Amino acid sequence: MIKENENLERIAKEIMRPVGLSKNFILWMSFLGVILAASLVAYAIQLQNGLTVTGMRDYVSWGMYIANFVFFVATSLVGMLITSVLGLTGISWIKPIGRIAEIIAVAFAAVAGLVIVSDMGRPDRLINVFMYGRIQSPIIWDVTVVITYLTLSTLLYFLPLIPDLAIAKTRMDHCPVWLQKLYEILSVKWGHTTEQYKIMLKSVRILMVVIVPTAFAIHTVTSWLFASTLRVGWDSTIFGPYFLTGAFVAGSAAVVIAMYVFRSSYKLEKYITAFHFDKMGKLLVLTMLVYLYFNINEYLVPAYKMKAADAKHLHELFVGSHAFLFWSVQLCGLIIPIILLIFKPFRKPVPMLILSIVILIGAWFKRLIIVVPTMEEPFLPKQHVPHEFMVYTPTVIESMITIGTIVMAIMIISILSKLFPVIPIWEMAEEAENESEHKLNE
Amino acid sequence: MLKRYFAAITILATLSQAKAEEWVVPADKAKKVSPFAFTPESKKAGEALYKANCMSCHGMPGKNNAIPLVPPPPDLAGTVAQSLEDGEFFYKITEGRGPMPSFKNSLSANDIWNIISYLRSFNDKYVQEVARKITREGITEGNIQILFKLIKENKQLQAEVMNTTAEGKKPIEGAAVKLFAKRYFGNLPIDEERETDASGMVAFDFPKDLPGDSTGMVHLSAKLVDEDAFGEVKSDTVFAIGAPTCKPALNEQRAMWNVVQKAPLWILFTYTIGVLTIWGIIFYILLQIRKIYILGKNKEILGE
Amino acid sequence: MSELINTTPTRDAGEGKQPVDRRDFLKKAGIVSAAGAVGAAAVYSGWNFQQKKPNHNMVTVRTPDNKLIEVPRDSIKTFKPILSELQKRGREGLKGKRWVMVIDLAKCRNARKCIQGCQTAHHLRPNQYHINTLTMQATENTPAYFMPKPCQHCDNPPCVSVCPVNATFKRQDGIVLIDNERCIGCRFCMAACPYSARIFNWEEPLQDNGYQEKIVAYEKALAAGDEATIDKLKYEVEYNVELNVPQKKGTVSKCLFSADRLREGKLPYCVSSCPNGVYWYGDQNEDSVTNGTTKETTRLTTLLEEKGAFQLMPELGTKPRVYYLPPKDRQFKFEDDRKPEGEA
Repeated sequence: MIKENENLERIAKEIMRPVGLSKNFILWMSFLGVILAASLVAYAIQLQNGLTVTGMRDYVSWGMYIANFVFFVATSLVGMLITSVLGLTGISWIKPIGRIAEIIAVAFAAVAGLVIVSDMGRPDRLINVFMYGRIQSPIIWDVTVVITYLTLSTLLYFLPLIPDLAIAKTRMDHCPVWLQKLYEILSVKWGHTTEQYKIMLKSVRILMVVIVPTAFAIHTVTSWLFASTLRVGWDSTIFGPYFLTGAFVAGSAAVVIAMYVFRSSYKLEKYITAFHFDKMGKLLVLTMLVYLYFNINEYLVPAYKMKAADAKHLHELFVGSHAFLFWSVQLCGLIIPIILLIFKPFRKPVPMLILSIVILIGAWFKRLIIVVPTMEEPFLPKQHVPHEFMVYTPTVIESMITIGTIVMAIMIISILSKLFPVIPIWEMAEEAENESEHKLNE
Repeated sequence: MLKRYFAAITILATLSQAKAEEWVVPADKAKKVSPFAFTPESKKAGEALYKANCMSCHGMPGKNNAIPLVPPPPDLAGTVAQSLEDGEFFYKITEGRGPMPSFKNSLSANDIWNIISYLRSFNDKYVQEVARKITREGITEGNIQILFKLIKENKQLQAEVMNTTAEGKKPIEGAAVKLFAKRYFGNLPIDEERETDASGMVAFDFPKDLPGDSTGMVHLSAKLVDEDAFGEVKSDTVFAIGAPTCKPALNEQRAMWNVVQKAPLWILFTYTIGVLTIWGIIFYILLQIRKIYILGKNKEILGE
Repeated sequence: MSELINTTPTRDAGEGKQPVDRRDFLKKAGIVSAAGAVGAAAVYSGWNFQQKKPNHNMVTVRTPDNKLIEVPRDSIKTFKPILSELQKRGREGLKGKRWVMVIDLAKCRNARKCIQGCQTAHHLRPNQYHINTLTMQATENTPAYFMPKPCQHCDNPPCVSVCPVNATFKRQDGIVLIDNERCIGCRFCMAACPYSARIFNWEEPLQDNGYQEKIVAYEKALAAGDEATIDKLKYEVEYNVELNVPQKKGTVSKCLFSADRLREGKLPYCVSSCPNGVYWYGDQNEDSVTNGTTKETTRLTTLLEEKGAFQLMPELGTKPRVYYLPPKDRQFKFEDDRKPEGEA
């Protein structure tokens, strides 16, 4: 229950200040729009000519698109980690960044669905998935859980937003009329009553619980797209947790980047403080250590035994054609950041931003290094086909489409963060209230 | 010493090579000649057969475009091939050797003679010799019958070869008979080739485990081997002599790979329960949002 | 047949309406209804099987989005039933059969005639292999040999397990087919197949001239109402799931064991194209296989036993329907004239 007082007034004013359409925002969106348009042209070319415009061929039949899909699903998981796992355990420092995590979850889960369409040979037959779905196929499980997770994340984003919308709708004279109307509709007649708070908090709590198994399912199932096959490098029993922990690394890095950007461009230094970066840095170290542990399991065990097929695969990764990418990803995306982030100075906002960008890029290439080398190593020899069939070289078109999907996710994040407050006003007001009461009691 | 050693090696190599290329046709077989005269029609039929069965290795006659195999398939219009007798040609095509397949099961005698007719058309000097009809005494083509009899106890199949003459039916002695079981793509030889005894009877042992249809029925076919003497004599019958085979369809059981109607029950169950539970909760949350809305609306009304 | 057409929702209203319907459907069907549909389908299908009512109608009546022929609206009626009939029998397969192939490695000298026969029949480009002859050498000191590798038509097919839309399926006679009218092109089956047996139509597929001519003739016959020609050509121009012709861009293709030939009692294209007697093919239920070159027929069990047959990677548990006879007593010198291109 929040009170209308100067605390709320101040917080609402500060948080609502960047909301609305500014010139810079429109400029930013047009910039993204141009890139998106270019990638749409690339997609049109792909639709016209077929997947022959990509670097994929009969042996490497999955490439960048699938790696990108895994990356998107992975990054979206952070919503569950921060709001649910940390939220349910009563960790309070996540309050100002919980919504940022949910925005990332919604944006990346939504675009993940589109990414997988970009990989389809016949996107016009998408409807077949719903008409003739085979429940035995991991793709059907994936479609189901991605849709479910997107819905749950959206609700988990929307429900705690309702009180803010109600608070904000009286304080948005600087915003266009349509936005005010949108607030009016979305605030579902919120009147700050105790009963409404009770219902909202209860619903959020239910969602926080339900989203945990769903999020585990979404990424475990995504890992099963690989682990359910007999292929070398994929035929692994730890793929579920391996992917899941990797997802937390990527998602946390994405949240740190978003935190930094919102903090500096929306002038929210008061709410997203160095303290939060420090905490996120520690969280990153934790997730990365767990991920490193799974990496060691995933590579060391087969490398010890050197079964014929595994040996060839590992040779390519460790010293062969993929060695540069493999070691770059492991070192820059995992080992070096772990070492650096152990030291406090590196957990300051700017170093955190730089490291998170490196980690996130590493996370993207990590997915590529999981998908492509395995496809290049089938059990039987590759013969009587041209060189382009044997090795995978991504083309400009597919890179463009991939960039387009990333731009799309950034656009969704930008829009959500620009139209609605990125920091929960009512929770901040509540916190401030508690603090002042605390002071009075002392 | 070394010189002698090399000489020996060379001689040995030459000999073995010569031996590898030598393909001697038994004298009696080499004498065989076509039962009919080669005509433009036979040549045309032979050309089609050649293209379907021989060209993939031997290439077009006279074009020297055989595929490079070891040993190389000869150009059949060449002088070496054309120096063969008709009977030698016939024998080699029928029996095959090493890489050269045997065509006795895939081509009839007539077909093979047609192919020879086609090959001879590349040889201007060739003069054909036609077979004189060899017939057994008292035998007219078309009057010979093979009658089947099944001895169920020991799965033995008996066939009686009879010649219908003016004086009635007479058994043929010493005629070689072959028995086949009809299969989807060809005829499976049963037992050995057997000769009829004085009463025209011949007995074949039928393998105990050869599958028939669901009731054990097997389509059988018997044939007299010596076509020159008897003409083409064949007889078909169906007996319940095989092992009854009633294997289930390969896509009958519930399995991961089967259609969704035949998915393992546990997966149908788990999936359905999971989806219903989570979406039930989502629906419940949506109802809660509606409840918030109604509460707010009521407050507004009361407030006003 | 016309009844079936009427029962199908959305996509059957006619070619012209189709895109509008689909867009409309997508607009209306929100996330909720979509996932709900999947859930409901799960319940329904489970229930459906218990009720012993096979739900073939949905499968058979889908409108072809066949780009090959622009036919007048009124001719669609005569067109669809052929597709549905071909689809129906193609998905059912031949009753009481269990097809099996035996490949004699001692005979294969890489003539590549099987590949030619196959590629011609299925309208494939030279780099597209339903069957490919590979040069195999297990380890350094073991002999090299040629190994024709078709689809193994596994009895536990990993590719079929992962298909999300039942586009690839296993029939009662053991053949694993792909329906390119259904395939969404996700290529999961290609990733799942340990034998690399599947290919994808990355670009617009090849069509041989004879086929194009038939289409033109068929169109003309339709326009002129020439019933005799229509009847003659309709089976040849329509998509036949047992031949997978015409191939379609953006869909997966694979070895079909020449299901269309088997129906006519003929040996598969590759089997009958082989000049070296490599292939034996037949029905396991008859325990007999016939050689494609010599047409000799023999007992399957005897052949496998006498030659010491083996299967490809049986440890994966895929249960192939293809057997190999070891490359023993080869009557030719092994010569690998293939230029090594990035050995795997």
